[in-house]
Amino acid sequence: MSSVATSAAHSAPTAVIADDERLMRVQIAARLKEAWPDLVIVGEAGNGHEAVAMVRSLEPDVVFLDINMPEMDGIQAARALAGQAHVVFVTAYDQYAITAFEQGAIDYLLKPAEPERVALTCQRLRERLQQKPDPMDDVLEKLSQRLGAGGIKPREYMRWVQASVGANIRMIPTGDILFFRAEDKYTRVQTTGFEALIRKPIKELIDELDPAEFWQIHRSTVVRVDAVEQVSRNLRGNQVVHVKGSTERLEVSRTFNHLFKQM
Amino acid sequence: MSTEQNTANSPNPAPGSMGIRQAFREIRRGIVVMWWAFFDWVAVVQWKALVLVLFLGMIIGGGIFKLPTLTFLIVVSSFIIKIVAGGKRRAEITASEATQRAETEQLQRNVLEARMQALQAQIEPHFLFNTLASIDQLIQSDPPRASKMQQSLIRYLRSAMPQMREGARPTLGQQVDLSSAFLEIMAVRMEERLQPVVNVPEGLKSALFPSMMLQTLVENAIKHGLEPQASGGKLEIRAEVVDGQLAVHVIDTGRGFAPKADGGVGLANIRERLRTLYNGRAELIISVPAEGGTCATIRVPYEVAPAPTPT
Repeated sequence: MSSVATSAAHSAPTAVIADDERLMRVQIAARLKEAWPDLVIVGEAGNGHEAVAMVRSLEPDVVFLDINMPEMDGIQAARALAGQAHVVFVTAYDQYAITAFEQGAIDYLLKPAEPERVALTCQRLRERLQQKPDPMDDVLEKLSQRLGAGGIKPREYMRWVQASVGANIRMIPTGDILFFRAEDKYTRVQTTGFEALIRKPIKELIDELDPAEFWQIHRSTVVRVDAVEQVSRNLRGNQVVHVKGSTERLEVSRTFNHLFKQM
Repeated sequence: MSTEQNTANSPNPAPGSMGIRQAFREIRRGIVVMWWAFFDWVAVVQWKALVLVLFLGMIIGGGIFKLPTLTFLIVVSSFIIKIVAGGKRRAEITASEATQRAETEQLQRNVLEARMQALQAQIEPHFLFNTLASIDQLIQSDPPRASKMQQSLIRYLRSAMPQMREGARPTLGQQVDLSSAFLEIMAVRMEERLQPVVNVPEGLKSALFPSMMLQTLVENAIKHGLEPQASGGKLEIRAEVVDGQLAVHVIDTGRGFAPKADGGVGLANIRERLRTLYNGRAELIISVPAEGGTCATIRVPYEVAPAPTPT
């Protein structure tokens, strides 16, 4: 394997082009042919996964990665391929990424690729081919966080509840929900207009809901804070929550009394 | 005021008589205004207050000024006015206040809607630059196709530019044309990964439908459903009338809805706009078809646009 790699380094340089739009791959290939006739395009990939697999099996010198690709985007692909090939990013419009590339001295091309710009990139690549590819860890890590792919993200909560309403499955935005209530095997989802059933028990549900949006007030009840109209007391002295748009009264169990303590 | 003086000056009558005539006119106007103010007051005031005021008036007018007949006349006529006109006049005043409030509310709604509409589906730079890059490539490899794609882009931009959306209330036909142009462009770019189907009966194209909502659903279906899926899929726009409501569906066979996805501002914006525009008589429903993917439905009251007036 190593003998193949060294011989490849001495013979014609090779490249893989990854872009989800075929027309764009054709364009980059055509411009590269004009600017660098010796460069051999050994493969074309339509998404990030394909690009990673192709670079690993074909071991090209250079990989051109479109940023916006399905399954795995260009930044993620570059991170997976750290140090395995020289990376040139390709994008039509990613203002933030471009700024980052300029700061981190990472090469990139704008679509549609202008011949002069492609020529400059090829010039730089020829010089860099002598060195080992730079894994570019820091810049890519920051970028992937910023672009919302991989990296450490703030915890995500449920924004939609998938529930059956009659014979249909609906996605109900959490903002429409008044409360959840455990009922036998199911959990009832109550909105102003209708009710729906889900299988997920309250115990699991509460972990996935945003604690700033929903409060558990009872073993079997979770209420959306903004839907609470007022809290009164019933004859037994327990707190009872009144919800906007519903006549149902929701009892607060003692464990959760502190939620509605007077200021 | 000034015009009145001008017309009075033009025939050039004797200066004295003109002054007197004008003074009379002013007094007459004053009396009329006072009479109506009194009339409104009598009509609206509570009976208890009216009786009290008239009783005081009787003491002052009849007792102190010694004008019992005049005072008696005023008291009687006040009661008659109160009885005859009270209810009607009060209703009129409340009605006009309500109209005024409704007008203010409508105005506020219009402003809100304008703001939300401006936010909705702004032309995405990503889309624009990628499309231009594709056209650039087609100019070299397939000029007739490049020209077709450019025409689609122009059609899309014409209807999607915010200032182009003003004027008459938008129809479903316009909205479908806009999204069709968008889908034509995306089909050239995504090739076999996007199979658009438009299923909108000709008869429904004159129905009223709010602007840019369909386009937001179409963009969402591509961006979150089909584009992230390597194999792509089908996208269908379908419209029908069910129980007097116009239902417009955007159905994709993409990767489906993620419960934790923020859903974008787009969907929240549509919900908010439907609320301001239709006040509970319209809705956006996201459902999951049995065969997977996503189905987004907007239901609005079915109304047909007034026949276009030739310009």
